[in-house]
Amino acid sequence: MSRSNRREFLQRSLCALAGSAAFGSMFGKLALAQSAANPGRMLLGSDYRALVCIYLFGGNDCYNTIVPRDGAYAEYAQTRTNLAVPQSDLLPLTALSGPDNGGLFGLHPEMAAIQQMFHEGRAAIVANVGPLVRPVNKALYNQPGTLLPAQLYSHSDQTVLWQTPRADATTRTGWGGRLADIFSASNVNQVLSMNVSLQGDNVFQAGEDVAPYFMSAEGVEEIDLIRTDLPNCGPNGHWNRRRCLSFHALLNQSHQHPFERAFAEKTRRTIETSAEVTAALALHPESDAVFQPFRDAFPDGMPHLARQLLMIARMIRARFDLQMSRQLFFAGLGGFDTHDRQLDDHPQLLATLSRSVKAFYDVLEAMALSDSVTTFTGSEFGRTLTNNGDGTDHGWGGHHFVFGGGVNGQRIFGRMPSLALNDNPDDAGWGQIIPTLAVDQYAATLASWYGLADADRDDIFPNLVHMNGPILSIEGPDLGFMQTPG
Amino acid sequence: MRIKLLIALGLLVSMLPAAASRHIFGSGFDHAPEGPYSKAEAARFLTQASFGPTLDEIDRLGRMGYHAWFAEQFAAPLSRQLPFLDQLLVEGVEGVWQDKRQEIWWRNVLHGNDQLRQRVAFALSQILVISDQNGALEGNPTAIAHFYDLLGEHAFGNYRELLEDVTLHPTMGHYLSMFKNRKPDEALNIRPDENYAREIMQLFSVGLWRLNPDGTRIDGDPVAPGVQPVPTYNQQTISGFAHVFTGWNYSTCTPPAAPESSGSFNWWHWVWCPSGPPNVDWRLHAGWRTPMLPWGEGTPYGDIYHASAGDKQLLDYPGVALPGGVLAAGGGARTNLAAALDNIFHHPNVGPFLGRLLIQRLTTSNPSPAYVGRVAAAFHDNGNGIRGDLGATVRAILMDPEARNPAIAPDHAGKLREPLLRITQLWRALDARSIDGRIREGWPEWYAAQAVQRSPSVFNFYLPDYRLPGEVAQLGLYSPEFQITTDTYITRLTNSLGGKIHWAWWGNPGVGDWDPVQVDLNRDIALAEHPHRLIERYNLLFMARAMSPAMYDTLVAHVSGITQNNSGSAWRRYRVQDALWLILTSPEYVVEK
Repeated sequence: MSRSNRREFLQRSLCALAGSAAFGSMFGKLALAQSAANPGRMLLGSDYRALVCIYLFGGNDCYNTIVPRDGAYAEYAQTRTNLAVPQSDLLPLTALSGPDNGGLFGLHPEMAAIQQMFHEGRAAIVANVGPLVRPVNKALYNQPGTLLPAQLYSHSDQTVLWQTPRADATTRTGWGGRLADIFSASNVNQVLSMNVSLQGDNVFQAGEDVAPYFMSAEGVEEIDLIRTDLPNCGPNGHWNRRRCLSFHALLNQSHQHPFERAFAEKTRRTIETSAEVTAALALHPESDAVFQPFRDAFPDGMPHLARQLLMIARMIRARFDLQMSRQLFFAGLGGFDTHDRQLDDHPQLLATLSRSVKAFYDVLEAMALSDSVTTFTGSEFGRTLTNNGDGTDHGWGGHHFVFGGGVNGQRIFGRMPSLALNDNPDDAGWGQIIPTLAVDQYAATLASWYGLADADRDDIFPNLVHMNGPILSIEGPDLGFMQTPG
Repeated sequence: MRIKLLIALGLLVSMLPAAASRHIFGSGFDHAPEGPYSKAEAARFLTQASFGPTLDEIDRLGRMGYHAWFAEQFAAPLSRQLPFLDQLLVEGVEGVWQDKRQEIWWRNVLHGNDQLRQRVAFALSQILVISDQNGALEGNPTAIAHFYDLLGEHAFGNYRELLEDVTLHPTMGHYLSMFKNRKPDEALNIRPDENYAREIMQLFSVGLWRLNPDGTRIDGDPVAPGVQPVPTYNQQTISGFAHVFTGWNYSTCTPPAAPESSGSFNWWHWVWCPSGPPNVDWRLHAGWRTPMLPWGEGTPYGDIYHASAGDKQLLDYPGVALPGGVLAAGGGARTNLAAALDNIFHHPNVGPFLGRLLIQRLTTSNPSPAYVGRVAAAFHDNGNGIRGDLGATVRAILMDPEARNPAIAPDHAGKLREPLLRITQLWRALDARSIDGRIREGWPEWYAAQAVQRSPSVFNFYLPDYRLPGEVAQLGLYSPEFQITTDTYITRLTNSLGGKIHWAWWGNPGVGDWDPVQVDLNRDIALAEHPHRLIERYNLLFMARAMSPAMYDTLVAHVSGITQNNSGSAWRRYRVQDALWLILTSPEYVVEK
């Protein structure tokens, strides 16, 4: 199917969806009942794939996350002064390959779980990724007329640059959303969005046609006063029937204002989807033994990120019930904007990230889905190499983690930047490190593993064609950190 | 044009019941020459200018007219938050945390006579953002309350003064890390923190792109197709302001007693400066409720940690007072701050940028450029040659023809109501209160995705430029409040309204010891036997009589169908409750036009 045909198909599906989503239809619930009655009908398991984005809000200080443990440590310590992680505390990484410019590295002492995953081949590191319009080095950066992302170093803008990733143009869709525009059609379920956010709204998951579905780490709630647990507002005489009918009448009347139509549509979708997801999750309660690794990792109670990942694990486990063969989740961890008190705050965040991810993969292993679910970090920027006294400021490039059985694990991809305080060739001028890999490349590698055909790549990542040449540590659309899907 | 015509026809039709009801009630609506000319107009204005119309206030505004109402509101003393919290602290009976700060916000916006002031303060709190979701502020509700009171004091004052007070407030100092920000130190590799420098420009004053007086972007290259936006500032500018914003600490520090170069230099008094005496609860500390001071100011050693040396690149724009926008080396922390805030304040962007943000909070998400232009003109000159008069700006926003006359406004005028404003409108319209007068509503973000000064980040609950994917975005419209209108929050707010109407009603024995805020249904239960009159009253209170005939008919039919036969002895109350809930959750109501 060509892209335009696929779009038409998708449009038709959505029209069908709009029709079925009108009051009274219980398409979702019917489908649910059918699949429960006949689970073998769906041949989803072999082809299931999910991407999970863990977004580190505020800009993670990757230079205190992954630290040189060889001779280069002295340079790091000199640059970071009082913020430096002590060399003896570092958790050594033994990489099968990389980084391209050599060197030995260690993880922050709070990241033992990720260290273990790395050595088990379930985690890889991608060095110095950031938004780029064109590859740039310091000379080009300082040269008037060089194409640079607009408003570098700003939270909101660099978040958009990361999530779209369109450093070259203004857009309101993200790459996860554009993927969903293509892949949603392959889900039997056309009511529940392929894109599910546990962290509220984000640009990343917004497509031209597909809007993300929001739930919380606690699950999905339903609108109480119209609940009948039966289609069509229940039978005559049900206590809630009249209110339910009137509620829907007001929802479905003809609306003059585009905001009214949008609100009505959102409310209809909320009602239909919540009923469906609630029913599916009830089949896979949190108390299931398979989710034990989360309880083991956090005996004193789970942090929010762990709760989010636990809910994602339940949604993945419910994939047959929900009839989803492609899913894309968004989770988040906030607090990385460590301008102040970095030594107090940052280690706890890294500990939360590390232990939550490992618990998530221990569960996926138990479900034999580790190979089918790839998790990656995003963050608007790395922080400045330089120190503002008790913290660091907004930077540009940063290192990232990719997790899962499909990862070429125990490797560091790309080139580590210089950590020199003076005459640093990678420093844009204020301790902000110029990326040597583009977010476009990082995202395209993940999208390719997800199933994006090479022919469609330029549609989703229009600026990727420029990511070539010796300035980048790795050229082209595939950074190599994912195995070729078998 | 055809759509316009249809809407005009729709307006005519929707005015019919209003005219009819005026006849039924036989109440002539006395009005001042400038209006409002009808109860509907008064209700619509009060929806924009207050936390929700009441029947009394609709009549009162009608008798007074807009001019007298503005004069009264401009003069009305501020309902403050801080005294309430201080009193609780002194009494020491209950914990004083952020939920109590929410409580006094609710009290003031529900019951204060300074409705317009509170509404503007709330709008400003979403522009000049601080949040208790911040490690330094979460335990300190009094300091945040003090900041909010500051917004209220300045709500009709001058923006230049507000900007300075906000900049020097210790909560903002902590939130955007200007507090204890210090001059560069090459040896320690320390350079000034850029957080406040960036956000004061991006969010509080000029924005990212150079604007025309009507808020549209200046085209940097008229030859090239499309608009080529021109950045308002660059990294040098941010660095320049970062250097300006250095040297400030609590007002309560022990001053330096020796020059920096001396061996007896007491640097620790900068690093460990207390906000108040150790034996006093820090929520009462003077350091948190007085403006920050340059450390060393007035001593022979000067503003020790201010980056006085070096020229500072500030904003450069046509007519800028500083040559090339460069603040020359030298100067103290205070004089440089004044020069820098003047430099920002006089940037031509401030009027259209701030004007649009305030318009979005008060009247419409998508003002026409002409509307923004008129508001920006009022900001530029209040009629007496004064720039930055917020009272004049607010008045221009509310009295603009595009705000007052729906018939000439664009088809898409209006906004998705903020969740908190849906709650306040219900409670004010129904005279809601608890038995003991307290308001236990300390964590509304759980259902509203919103709570005053509790946004997830400095970018507020939603972005001014958010476009909901789908038709809204395709039409090129902005829709900030849709950003928090997610499936989760649609459900929670709908359910929360259900509880506030069907459970928390005055006289319900079922509320037990909870003593929540309870709507008083009795006034309207008296109308329950007359479904038309009941719906017409709510049409006025909640929708300024703009309810469509279809919605009106649905509601009348629904209410009429609730009878003693099928609902028992409380059937009158059920009529009122169902009418309220169905209206407050309907798309037609949720979009304020």
